[in-house]
This record gives sequence, C-alpha cells and structure tokens, in this order.
Amino acid sequence: MSKVNALVLAGYGLNCDHETAYAFELAGAKATRVHINSLIDGDVKLEDFQIMVFVGGFSWGDDHGAGVIQAVRLKTNLGEKLKEFIDNGNLVLGICNGFQTLVNLGLLPGFNHDYSKRSVALTFNDCGNFRDDWVTLTVNSASPCIFTKGMDCLELPIRHGEGKFYSDESTIERLVNTNQVVVQYSMPDGELANSAFPYNPNGSALDIAGICDPSGRIFGLMPHPEAYNHPTNHPNWTRQKEELKRQGKVFDMGQTIGLQIFQNAVDFIQNS
Amino acid sequence: MPNRLEITLKSDLFDAEGEGIRQKATHYFGIDISSVRTVHVITIDANLSDDQLKKIQTEVFTNPVTQISSFEPLPVEFDWTIWVGYRPGVKDNPGSTAVEAVEDILGVNFGHEESVYTSKRFCLKGKGLTADDTDKIAGELLANNIIQQWKIFSKDDWDPETGIGFIIPKVKLNHIPTVTTIPIDSDSTLKQISDERNLALNPNDIPIIRKYFLEENVQAARAKVGLSDPTDIELEYISQARSDHCNHNTFRGLFSYHDLAADNLELVDNLFKTCIETPTLTLKERKSWVVSVLWDNAGVGRFDQDHHYVITGETHNSPSNMEAYGGAITGIVGIYRDPMGTGKGSKLIMGSYGYCVGHRDYKGNLKPRLHPRRLLDGVIEGVRDGGNKSGIPTPFGQVFFHHGYMGKCLVFVTALGIMPAMVKDEPSEQKDISPGDLVIMCGGRVGKDGIHGVTAASETFSEHTPAGHVQIGDPYTQKKMHDFLLEVRDEGLIAFITDNGGGGLSSSVGESAMFSNGCDIQLEKVPLKYEGLDQWEIWISESQERMTVAVRPEDLKRFLELSKKHAVESTVIGIFTDTGKLHISYNNKTCAYIDLDLLSSGFPQWKFDAHWQPPDKRGLFEPVLREPVDYEILLKDILARPNICSKEWITRQYDHEVQGTSVIKPLVGTGRDVNSDAVVLRPVLDSNKGLAFSQSLLPTYSLIDAYHMTSCTIDEAVRRLIAVGANFEYIGGVDNFCWPNIQYDSENNPDGRFKAAQLVRSCRALRDICLAYEIPLLSGKDSMYVDGYLPGRYGETHKVSALATLQFSATSVIDDITKCITMDSKMPGDLIYVLGTTGNELGGSEYYEHFGYTGLNVPRVKPDQFAPVYKSLGYAVGREIVASAHGIYRGGMGVHLALTAMGGNLGMEVDLANVPVDNIDRNDKILFSESAGRFIVSIDPQHKKLFENIFKDLPCACVGKITGRPDFVVKGIDSKVIISVSVNSLKTAWKEPFKDL
Repeated sequence: MSKVNALVLAGYGLNCDHETAYAFELAGAKATRVHINSLIDGDVKLEDFQIMVFVGGFSWGDDHGAGVIQAVRLKTNLGEKLKEFIDNGNLVLGICNGFQTLVNLGLLPGFNHDYSKRSVALTFNDCGNFRDDWVTLTVNSASPCIFTKGMDCLELPIRHGEGKFYSDESTIERLVNTNQVVVQYSMPDGELANSAFPYNPNGSALDIAGICDPSGRIFGLMPHPEAYNHPTNHPNWTRQKEELKRQGKVFDMGQTIGLQIFQNAVDFIQNS
Repeated sequence: MPNRLEITLKSDLFDAEGEGIRQKATHYFGIDISSVRTVHVITIDANLSDDQLKKIQTEVFTNPVTQISSFEPLPVEFDWTIWVGYRPGVKDNPGSTAVEAVEDILGVNFGHEESVYTSKRFCLKGKGLTADDTDKIAGELLANNIIQQWKIFSKDDWDPETGIGFIIPKVKLNHIPTVTTIPIDSDSTLKQISDERNLALNPNDIPIIRKYFLEENVQAARAKVGLSDPTDIELEYISQARSDHCNHNTFRGLFSYHDLAADNLELVDNLFKTCIETPTLTLKERKSWVVSVLWDNAGVGRFDQDHHYVITGETHNSPSNMEAYGGAITGIVGIYRDPMGTGKGSKLIMGSYGYCVGHRDYKGNLKPRLHPRRLLDGVIEGVRDGGNKSGIPTPFGQVFFHHGYMGKCLVFVTALGIMPAMVKDEPSEQKDISPGDLVIMCGGRVGKDGIHGVTAASETFSEHTPAGHVQIGDPYTQKKMHDFLLEVRDEGLIAFITDNGGGGLSSSVGESAMFSNGCDIQLEKVPLKYEGLDQWEIWISESQERMTVAVRPEDLKRFLELSKKHAVESTVIGIFTDTGKLHISYNNKTCAYIDLDLLSSGFPQWKFDAHWQPPDKRGLFEPVLREPVDYEILLKDILARPNICSKEWITRQYDHEVQGTSVIKPLVGTGRDVNSDAVVLRPVLDSNKGLAFSQSLLPTYSLIDAYHMTSCTIDEAVRRLIAVGANFEYIGGVDNFCWPNIQYDSENNPDGRFKAAQLVRSCRALRDICLAYEIPLLSGKDSMYVDGYLPGRYGETHKVSALATLQFSATSVIDDITKCITMDSKMPGDLIYVLGTTGNELGGSEYYEHFGYTGLNVPRVKPDQFAPVYKSLGYAVGREIVASAHGIYRGGMGVHLALTAMGGNLGMEVDLANVPVDNIDRNDKILFSESAGRFIVSIDPQHKKLFENIFKDLPCACVGKITGRPDFVVKGIDSKVIISVSVNSLKTAWKEPFKDL
C-alpha cells in the first residue's frame, strides 16, 4: 500500500513541527516538515499530500491575535489550493496555534461548506496568563470527526495564552446540534468541567476544546496530542508504573492515546 | 498622513488583561478601580489608500467575532484613560510583524520612512479615582520611562475627535557618521577622553595602549592606510575586548589572600586557571564523554553515539534591574544564541531561570528603581515570552528572595541544545575559518541598542532620541534564524559560527578573526535600523538576534537562498584574512587597522587584596534557642516562608513540554503541584535515553562562609539529579558566579577585601568538590559588581550589596528513562528511609533565618562519605526497587518529608529517634538541620532486604512508613508525637503565600 503523506507546516515562529512529524511517523505516515514559503513558492506541492497539519507555535509572534497573520498569509497566497485540497477529501488538522489559524481562515467551523467565514474565535484565557497543564477531555462519540473515532476520553497537555473558545450563542448551539463539538474539557472523572478552573483552563464556552467541520475531515483543538507521543510524557506515569508493579503488572510503554488521533487520520486515508 | 486604528474587545467579552491590571492596582497600591478595558492602538505611518486601510483593518487587525475597531478614537467609557507607547528606537515587535502582514496582504513594500507602531490605551473606571492614582498606575504598573512614554487624559480633557493624537516614535538622528581620532599625547589625556566617552578603559591598560600606537612600525603601517592616532572605533574595540565581561580579568586576577586568623599570606594567581580550567582539563582526560570545553560559546558533552548536548548559562542582571521585562526577555533569548553558536550550531532543547530579588512585600524606606514585586512580575513575563515564543521548554527554575538583591537583582538564564555528532562527516563541535571565507551577519538589524550598556540610562530623552540602551528581545525573529541556521548547518554550509552578544560585532568578528588571523570589514554594508549611526556605534552595538557566520565563497549562493526561504536577513559584511590585522573600512576609507595580537600582548593583570577572617572571629555564634513546643504551627510557618513555599504560578506560565520531550516535569505528584528534584528530557524522540537537569543556589550560607555555600550548592544540584535516576558518573556542571564588587576601597567598598576572600574560597570549593565528585565544568560565567545605591527616606543613599551567590547547574544522561522516578510517596505501607547523616548544622538555615538568626555551624560537604551513598542510590533506582526519592534541601527534613507526603497525597508516620544523626539530640535540630548529602526514600516493603543490603555500612535507616490515613505524624526522639496534622493542611499552608497570583 502506498505511504500516507502528511505535510507538517513549519517556519515563521511555528514550533511543534518536529514532534508533530514524529507522531505521524509513529502512526505509519511519511511526514514532511515544510516551510510555509516552500508551499507558497511551489517548491512543495500540496497535491502530493493527503494530510495537512497546522502545528502549534507562535506564528508571526501571535502579536495581532493568535494565528491571524498566518491565516492571512495562507489565504492571500494559497487560498484556492487549500480549498481544492479539502474538496479532494483530504484531512486537515490544526493543533493550538494551528487551530487558531483554522478558525481565522474560516476552515472551521465551515458551515454549509463555506470555508472562508470567521464565525468562532479563540481569545485570551480568562486566567489572564499563558498556562501549561494537563487536561481531561471528553470525546463526542456522535461527532463525524475522523481523528477521534473510537475514543471516549483522554488526557492531553494544553499550552496556550489564547485558547478561550468564543462565539455567539446561535453558532455554538449549531455546533452542538451538528456534533461539530469534538472534545470538551472535563473533570478527572469524565464529567464536563462546566467552566470550573483549572479543568477548563481558559474559560472556553461550553468547555469546548476542539471542533471539526461538518465533514469531520477538518479538526482543530487547543490541546497537544503530539506532546503525548511517549508514555513518559504523562505527568503521572511514574505513579501509574509503580501502582501496576504492585499488582504484578507491567506499565505499557507502547503507543499512547495521544497518538491514536494521528493513527485514525492515517488509517482513514489508507482505507479511503 | 499617518492613520491610527483603535481596536478593542466587544463590550460583552471579558478583558483578562484589563482585569489583571485592576487587581494589581488594588493589591499593589490599594487603589480601587471598578473596571479596566484595553484598547490596542496601531499607528500606520505609511502611504496607504482608504481601500487598503479598510482591507487591513478588517482582514488583519480586527477579529470580527471578538473585536471592534475604528480609525477614529473608540468611545470606550472611562473616568481616566492612560495611553502607553514605546520611546523611539525601542524594539516594537508587534509593529514589525504588523508591517510584514500589511506588506503581504497588500502586496506592497514599505519605504524606508514608512512604518507601523503599536501602543495601548487603558480605560479606567472608578469612583474617586484621582490624577495621582492614575499617574501611579501609569508609572509604576503600566509603563517604564526607560522604554515607554505615556499620556493621561481625564474624562473632561479628552477630545473624542482627536483622541490621543498622532504619536510617531520614529528615530531621527540627522547625523553624518564620523570617525573621530583620539589624541594620545599623555596617559591623562587618554584617561580623560575615556571617561568622557564612556570608553571604560582600565587606567592600567592605558600605557600599553599608548605604547602600541606610538611604536614606529605601527605608525608607519597605519600611515599607509591613512591613519595616525587611534580612532574612536579602535579604542572601542580594545575597550570591549579588555572588558571584564569579555576577558574575565577578575577571575584571571592576582589575589593576595591573607588568612588573618592563621596570619598566613599567600598569592593566588588566576582563579580561572587554578580552580576551573585545570580541574576540568584533568577530568576531561578521565571522562571520554566530555567533547568540547573552555573555548566555545558553550560546553559540549556526549549524549549518545550520534548526538552531543550543549550547555551554558549566564546572567542578565543590570538591564533587568532597569527594565525587568526587557532585560529578562533579552537575557533568555540571548543565552539561546550561545548553543546556536556552539560548534557548527545546535538545536535548542530547554532553558531554565533563576531569579534573586528583594522581598516581594517590601515596605521599607529604600527606593529601588523598580519595587521587587514589580521587578519579579517583569522578569517572569520576560522569560515567559522569550522561552515560549522560541518554542523551547522552560521546565526548571528557582526564585530566591533576600534584601541583598534590592541593590541589583539577579536573573540567571541557562540554555541546553543538542546537535548531531557529525555534520557532513565532520565533527559538529569543531569549526574553523580559512582566509577568504566570507563574514556574514544574520538576523536582526543594527541600531543604537545596548551601546555602553546602561551607562546611557542617565541620558535625557528628546522626542526622537533612541532609548535603545535597554532592549527588548525578539524571539520571533530569532526563532526564524534558529530554524534557518539548522538547515544550513545540515547542508554543511557553516564553516564557523558565533553569536553577537556583549560587544556586538566588535566581539564576534574580533574573536572569530583570531581563527584565520585577520579580517577585512566593510562597515557600510551592515544593515541598520535607521541612518546616522557613527562607525564605532555600528561596530559595538549590541542589537539582538544576530549571529556572525563564516561561509566559504562557493557556498554563498545556497546560503542566501535558504536565508530568503526562512525570511531571515543575511549580509556579507567582509572577508576573513590572514594578515594579522583587524581592518575596518567605511565607504573605502579605513577607520580601524589593528594587530590582532595586541590583545595578547602584556596587558597588566588585575590585582586584589583578600582578607579572610573565620566566622567565629567575625563574631558569629550559634543562637541560644530553647526547643519549641508547637511543632505543627512551626512547620506550617516554615512551609509558608517565601523561599520555601509553592511558586506554581510561575511554573505554569512557562511551556515546559513543547518539543514533546518531557519525561520528569517541574511539578509532580497526584496533584501535579509539588516541585520535582530535577527535570528529565528525551531530547532525541526515537531514543529512550534521557537528559536530566537541575540547579541550586544557597546564598544564605555565604553569610558564614562562601566555601561551604559553594560546596553545599554543588552537592544539592548533584543530589537533585541522583533523585530522579541520573547517572553519577556522567555529571557535568555550569558555574554562574554573581558577586559584589571585590576591589577594596576605604570609602566605597570598605569590606571589599572580605568579599575578595569569599570569592577565593568559593572558587577553591568549586575546585575541591568538582574534583571529588568528578564533575567537569562544561561552561560558566561570572557577573561581578552586584551592588546598588538606593535612595532612602531622607534623601540619603545606601549601598546595598548582594550576597555572594553561586548558581550551579548540573546535567547528566540517563540510559533508560523508563526507570526514572519522582519524589512523591506512592503507596500506603511503603517504608520510608533517610539516607545520610543529620548533623548539628543549622548555620544559615531557613529555621534560624525564621527567627532572625544566622548561626555558625554551616553545613559541610564530605564527598568521600556522600559519594558512596549517591552511587548506591543510583544502583537501587537502576534495580527499580525505589518508589520515590527526594533530597533534603533548604528547610531541612521536616519540610522535605512534608513535601514527599504532599506529592503522594498520602499520610506518613515518622519516628525521629531512628534518623541517623551525629551529635544532635533535639527534635527541632533534626527536623530543620540542613546537613548536605541526605535523601528521603520510600520503597515497597518486599524490597526491604535487598534495599538495606545495598546500603549496608552506609548511613541509612528506616524512619517510618507511608500510610493510607491523611495525616502527617512525627514522633519525637522521646517517642512522643510532636506533629499530627493533615497532609492537606500542610499543602494549604505551603501554597497560601502566592495562591492568588
């Protein structure tokens, strides 16, 4: 079977490109880190890929709203190509700064196949600060999202200053009704955080941590699945290991649940 | 005609920035404000049509979902509004990215005169808010007059038509670059000019400098290129190269060390050579993993067969003391250039911080430039933005409060990188320059930044004079350069690379030129931020985010291609030669022509008198302190002391897991809120090898003896590594000295000789302990003159000197990260052991300090007794029979048993009678002694025999067990219960002080 090709954007202050590419490699894809300019100049062709990833970082320093200038630059120089890429049934993943970029591009939420309208925003955390912490996420199993198929709950790190999901009530209601709300911040026991800090770390409306487009092929989230690429990334792994040892069990050093998101994407392309 | 766009959040959106200001105004100044709204102002000084303006307003600068904006002043309600903008020449990072965005979306190119400036307007509402209140908030919370200007409007004097008006902080110098010749007819003339021009030439150097320029053959050679007496640029070059910063004259100085008690006088020649260089070279012989030390921008150690790690650390004290945010962000972004400039260049994998400041709640009469609270806020934010925006994790750091840092704060920054062992079949740690290689400057442009450091701070500002002496680092520009340099490195295009830091081109090019033995620089080619800089200013400007690279002519084309791809500016500014000369021209006219070997020719060694008086002879003694009764409240109070309590609010602001390499995080335990002993990374993603990192600083012990301050600091850093499972055999160290001025002066530095003796003793401890533990010093820096003159209540000024401070950083490799452990207790029923002996060593302890005592019995390090314990613990961890391990550090056993319990959120029962002690028979001394060499370890009872066997004949005893009950229970030596409190209440006490930040 031919390799699945994942394009991982890099340059201009993006900074999660290495580990994101690594995560896709672990999931069996051929991941290529591509500088935004190489894509614009045409040195690298979007047609050669089936998965496009907008990674975390501080594109253009995020000085004028996180992801805003990256969105402007890609829209100005690559708008049509992006639309084709989506229309061809490919996958788009946006993580943190990438999620912020997708909503500023209008690729999300993409109501009525309109991939240019900005109708949701990721704005400054209510806590007033950049925050690094691990959160519990509940997955909406009814969501069409390709990336989260078969998942119900997972823990991931968040690392952002502008992750508060915001929109008007009707838009949020619509996201809920169409099951475009994919992951929500939750309590350790799986109950929704209901805005309780730090479980909902930024004050996101309806505890929304990630959404997809109606097709489920475009997915954006604030948490960082690529930063849970190894069991030892988990904040409590030494405890889990010790507890298992006492039960005569061995701590699984295999694939993490964070990688499942990348695996789902690769499997989808392989099977389509 | 400039245009001014005002942008603000829709009124129904919560303004987190405004709310933060509102709270600080209340907490810091007791000023009540009902609300603060922030308005972002973008002033576009460019020729754009209305359509173009509309386009960038809607598509770039306004988020339709969250924001409103207008080219007229926004009608946001206020009682007072404060506008804050940068002074001319201060790096406006959002301004530059705005230009990039506008040029991109409109397909235009800004002319030299065109630019975008960002500023902010804060709208304050509050009954009874006065002009004075507003002025205080503006000057002491929102703006710093060194880099910013502000305007205040009341509701009444605000004109809704004109708003803040148009303020264009454009630098206009209107100056023709000129080279000035400096007369050297006498030493005194040169001294005088040196003072006038802030050349900071050392008086003892002046005769040597004059002698050189007066030599006949030198004058003849200079005449050929049209030069006579030295030019300003030449003297600036010599001054930079001879500065203590570049040359470490203090550490290479000659100390006459007088032990007054023993009445013994000895000459100590060159502390650097005897205590740092020689021991490290000796150890390098024994340790094949030490790859490259003592010559490059950072030290290099082997990580695995295919990778080297790179480490260095420095401080950025004076600038941070002037402008906390700018100084700190410039410091962290600056230290990141050192690994980038080490060998052929490395990828950054982590940074760390250390802040020493006055007490956050200081209410005394001294008036530092910035209150410690504001200063700390600023440095925290500076390192946060510098690290986070660089995409480099900041997983470790320390904060230490002490009055001595009121005069000048300390901001330690440390950086680690990793590079492939080989680049295109050449060792990556090696680099060299051949004559004919091109001199290339990459990254930022040159302005009047950092020229003569903070000496410019006293200058008065005109509307358009650049306030560049305090800088603001630009992580975005540097991140682009970082990615670019790694790509050209991997293509083998870098012959040599070094960073532009202190001394700017003067240092980077001057030092690089030593490798080929000469260079020819065309100064007019250096890209400038604005016109009108003198040649000497271009040469020594410390404008940030620049690297100097040597590239072979045949590689230039490809190098510039990749530079363009990464949107990084790279400029050929000259060529390396083998003429033995530093030759600088400007528009084909020579302005500098100096023999490079001048610097190695007989400049006099600095000399210091050092007087040592042992602590008891200085009148120090153990306090007469009877044993306390209420240990529960005592323990809680010690846990709540500023230097012990939780500082989670800082840790969480720092991205400590970007790059996906995190193995042991800064905060661990069930609540993920207790500090780990050290951090561990997996820098090579597809390998299970790890890199452990820790730091320590214990300046309080310097009050008694800087020798033991130093040895205890190193020992703590080492134990922190051992506690997570690092390998004792592979530890490398980085020393960062911060010392007050040690040059005796009867008027201004009467205790200078004692401070000098402390430095000698500290260096000797560094030598002794590093040799004993076999720790090569991979890198290190010194920052002297940590003193400040503070105005007091009556117009008098006080000299405040910092404690003699050493920050020690330690790193080591871990063969298998899946065997790493954390400090939190794991399971009810687990046995608790104490390793190491607790002695009567409370001198300088947190416990004594709590009562206002210093004491005499400072902890001592006994490497021959400690090392076997460390190796045995390493072995036990390797056998995977240790559930948790935690060193006993500042605060003593009581504090660190409590932390172990908090980490696991489990109870414990401990019997002090079982603790291995030496000459100590009191519960308070056992609980709060800070004896070095100790650990708290918990194990699964089934490993008891094996564990105790491993520690046979070593100080090791089972002192209790972990319990399922929520209580922390301690039995005294007379087997009476002296503490029985809930672990939760201990944690509450420990978190209380900074819980609202």
